[in-house]
Amino acid sequence: MTAAIQDAVREAGELRAPLRIVAGESWLDAGRPVKANRVLSVGDLSGIVDYVPSDLTITVRAGTRLSEIERATRENGQWFPVNPFGTSEATIGASVATASSGPLSHGFGAIRDLVLGFEAVTGDAKVIRGGGRVVKNVAGFDLVRLMTGSWGTLGVITELTLRLYGLPYNRRTVAIEAPTDARKLAERLRALRDAPVIPFALELLNATAARKVGLPPRQIILVELGGNNAAVDSQIDALKNFGTLIDGSAEMWDALRKPEAGEQIVFRVSGLPALLPERWERTSRVALSSENATMHASIGRGTVRCILTSDPGVAVLDQLSAPDANDTLILERAPATWWTKISPSAVDNRVSQNLKRGFDPLGILNPGILGPVN
Amino acid sequence: MPTEQLANDLASIVGERFVLRRPTELLVYNSDGLPGYRRQPRLAVFPGTREQAIEVVRTLARDGAPFVPRGAGTGLSGGALADDVVLLGMHRMKRVLNVDADNRRATVEPGVVNLHLNRLAGPLGLLYAPDPSSEAACTIGGNIAENAGGPHCLKYGVTLNHILAITAILPDGEIVKLGSDTGEREGYDLLGAFIGSEGCFGLALDVTVKLTKKPPTVRTMLADFTSVDDAAKVTSSIIASGIVPAALEFMDSGTIRVVESSIYAAGYPADAAAVLLIELDGLTAGVEADVAVVRDLCISGGAREVKIASNDAERLRLWQGRKKAFGAMGRMSPHLVVQDAVIPRTKLAEVLATITRIAAKHNITVCNVFHAGDGNLHPNIPYNADDLAESERVHQAMQEIMGACVDAGGSITGEHGVGLDKLNYIELIFSPDSLQAMCNMRSAFDPDRRANPGKVVPVHSCQEWKSTPAFGRETSGAVA
Repeated sequence: MTAAIQDAVREAGELRAPLRIVAGESWLDAGRPVKANRVLSVGDLSGIVDYVPSDLTITVRAGTRLSEIERATRENGQWFPVNPFGTSEATIGASVATASSGPLSHGFGAIRDLVLGFEAVTGDAKVIRGGGRVVKNVAGFDLVRLMTGSWGTLGVITELTLRLYGLPYNRRTVAIEAPTDARKLAERLRALRDAPVIPFALELLNATAARKVGLPPRQIILVELGGNNAAVDSQIDALKNFGTLIDGSAEMWDALRKPEAGEQIVFRVSGLPALLPERWERTSRVALSSENATMHASIGRGTVRCILTSDPGVAVLDQLSAPDANDTLILERAPATWWTKISPSAVDNRVSQNLKRGFDPLGILNPGILGPVN
Repeated sequence: MPTEQLANDLASIVGERFVLRRPTELLVYNSDGLPGYRRQPRLAVFPGTREQAIEVVRTLARDGAPFVPRGAGTGLSGGALADDVVLLGMHRMKRVLNVDADNRRATVEPGVVNLHLNRLAGPLGLLYAPDPSSEAACTIGGNIAENAGGPHCLKYGVTLNHILAITAILPDGEIVKLGSDTGEREGYDLLGAFIGSEGCFGLALDVTVKLTKKPPTVRTMLADFTSVDDAAKVTSSIIASGIVPAALEFMDSGTIRVVESSIYAAGYPADAAAVLLIELDGLTAGVEADVAVVRDLCISGGAREVKIASNDAERLRLWQGRKKAFGAMGRMSPHLVVQDAVIPRTKLAEVLATITRIAAKHNITVCNVFHAGDGNLHPNIPYNADDLAESERVHQAMQEIMGACVDAGGSITGEHGVGLDKLNYIELIFSPDSLQAMCNMRSAFDPDRRANPGKVVPVHSCQEWKSTPAFGRETSGAVA
């Protein structure tokens, strides 16, 4: 099956016909500036290649949907603790290619921390492998990290080996009300960080996001706990010090991840975790430009994610900057006009350009998706 | 440039004291942690500040001189050996620039010793998780070069998972920021690519590391077995249970005996065929419940006894034997090979049996002490490198052990790196095209391949680097 991808890449190279690499096709409307006249899909490249439950590793084809991995591993009391924004119908190939993670990255790290190995077809139609099927490996230069988050511009990922975890005996989701006042919010978050809790996920939700997950429309902190019963119970007790706990459910996380009907613009702002309250406040001002904007933030990572259902014009983002914040803005979905203004290029440095040249000498893989390559 | 002139130029940057040029002075830098190999550097230079390091790299670049970066020289794959090229030692750059407890991160120079960082983080209730056995000597810069691991990486991850950003100087003198010490960054994961690049991609000038909240409770237990096979199978069953211990270490009878007869004696039962040192950490209530589960798994899997450390002193003593095992082995013979390979965790019993057979066949001693939870083997071979016949037998056994690990679906190194030692093995696990891709990575950072030449990927695997852009400009460029 990799051979078919290899043939398609070789042919595109001979014709100098740039390819748009796709899998589940759920984010094709994100507005990314790709210049390509052909589509190459790995969507049909799906299924489990190898799964040894006792090793807690699984090897799957790139087009395998997260839901399928979830099903197969759950039967063995295991899981792949990655829940990128979107749905579980997303493919593992696209999730790795775009380095997409979700709320669980608080407890389990980003997707780059959980990929053990891959197979890919580079732009010159060579099949390469990096990493392996073991959980620790430093043999050779780290092609795995290079391929993760390269948005298909260095190679078409065809297969992945992932690290799995045992499913916790107990999982519970609870919500705590969060103060809206920035100073009080800062105090609350600091106390939470120092409390004897080690959550799987810890997100701050604005009122719209709270309503979206089925909670009263107020600013809240949504917490997922997991482990044995004693671990979960002791954390519930610790959280009670922060106010009344509202019982939640696992489905709330799926609701939070699910793209909204009519979402136009999605962006993330990240920076130092301790400065999250200020970042949250600045992002709230941007959110005011669109009716019912959804906002949520990873408290541990300090990243705010904002979803607008109308296009207020790119200038609205000027409000995000603060003199000493040094924050980073990343667009997930936006009209084409926004991209050139916001993300001129994520690969405009010499090393990145050299890498692109080395792995895709003809420039046929997703050209422009990370910005121009000169 | 003649060596004398280059040495003079470098001395004008760092001072005469910090340039070594005479063979007698260089003797100590002829080897690193890998026994049996000696390489004489052309000269050695030790910058003391960031400015000096930058100037040294740029001087070498102007001259086109190849160089080998070195931290504390504790590496076990020969990565810091400089064969008639300049050795660039970074251990003098050891300032801690910033510890930010609020954001749980610290920024340090590359020469900071791993344990020193932990001594600063500890009182703040934080720790830097990767803990190689050489933590008391090895530097953060060296840890980054090798993507170092350690016992506690089972739960907490390796160096890669704990570095937020690096300011690096590329071999041509350009200074680049890799990763971000504040938020996320889009684009290629150059930080991830740099970590574990064994000094082939450049030098770190400063490093921002992630600090982890110390767990409130730590429980350390020792399970002893009369059969290696049982200990291996219990390891697999603990992993399969889904509990992630902070550490899960294996020591065989050879190791136990050596440790117990040394000043590092830890109270391991001298008649055991193997012991497992298991540490669980986290929230108090949860840990106690997991301790009970793990203890049951050990007993039902054939453990004679499971001893649980009742206080910090006991805990540290149990760990002392493990952490100082390599040192204790120093009493057995003039030299010690600390080997490193990884296998799937379900293959432990099978591969350990194979290693025993290989050792018997070649009449050598193998002491196994390793990170069992990760499947990261360390078959150690005490020997006399000056005895050529014995060296040859060790070499042959090593090759067969590597072969067995690869056949089991494993890797040739889990945390020590390829360096010089494993150049011959890397072709066992990667195809020519994959190795070429690694060469392309190296060339992206160091087109002239002057940094740590001849290491990691065999020279014959790399085609000529094409520096002229070949791809069509008309296909690139953002949509307006």
